[in-house]
Amino acid sequence: MTHLWDRPEVFQFLALFLLGSGLVGLIYRRTLLGMLISVELIMNGAGLNLVLADRFFHPTVPTGEVFTLFIMGVAASEVAIALGIVLLLFRRSKGIEPEGLKELKG
Amino acid sequence: MNLGELVFLCISAMVVLGALGAVLSNSLVYAVFFLLLAMGGIGGLYIYLGAPFLAMMQVLIYMGAVGVLLIFAVMLAGPFWKRPKERGPFVKGAVAVAVGGLALVVLLRILGHHHWEVMPPRASTPEEVGRAIMDRFPLAFELVSLLIVASIIAAIMLGVLSRRREG
Repeated sequence: MTHLWDRPEVFQFLALFLLGSGLVGLIYRRTLLGMLISVELIMNGAGLNLVLADRFFHPTVPTGEVFTLFIMGVAASEVAIALGIVLLLFRRSKGIEPEGLKELKG
Repeated sequence: MNLGELVFLCISAMVVLGALGAVLSNSLVYAVFFLLLAMGGIGGLYIYLGAPFLAMMQVLIYMGAVGVLLIFAVMLAGPFWKRPKERGPFVKGAVAVAVGGLALVVLLRILGHHHWEVMPPRASTPEEVGRAIMDRFPLAFELVSLLIVASIIAAIMLGVLSRRREG
């Protein structure tokens, strides 16, 4: 008898669910921080996808785990930059909604 | 159903609930906590996938560092009543659900068409992960560290610029 965690479809569905809900939040949210949270969801889904491919289809060398570690580093630096930008925007315009940001429009 | 399957179902429910709450909740603080719930669930999934080192890193980096940074950002971004409403108009929500659902369904169909050959389970040790990083991808490793240094310098510069403009 195969367990639930021995089937790749379950993990694939969870990773795709994270991607789908991240896309929904990216369109639906109105503040920059909400969009940032959705991007984190998408990155987590990508990491889960890499690890499941590593475990189910190529288990000799943990390449997927290595790239998930790289994704974690990229996500951490991205959040640091985004925090700085959001704070700068908040001090300048007293609001973090992207609709109020018209300075970079041509 | 044995204990392992029960725990697995609980973890999957954590991931799904956390993702839905992070996207749909009305307050940003709750959204961050739901995101932390989903990240913890993903750490549990990593253990079921035979990657305990990655589960530890998930708890340390995502739930620790990224979670604290996001909570700081939410706290520093002004009081609640001054913020705009989190959720957009109804049409935008319908479009968002359509796009997300379409991506989910199409990608699931694509993955379902392929017949996957599943290997037997195997847990990887931290030593193997370290060897894979250092033997196979040293350039990518160094580039990630360069990226982190650049982002730290950029964050400091953003803070300095905002302070100079105020004073």
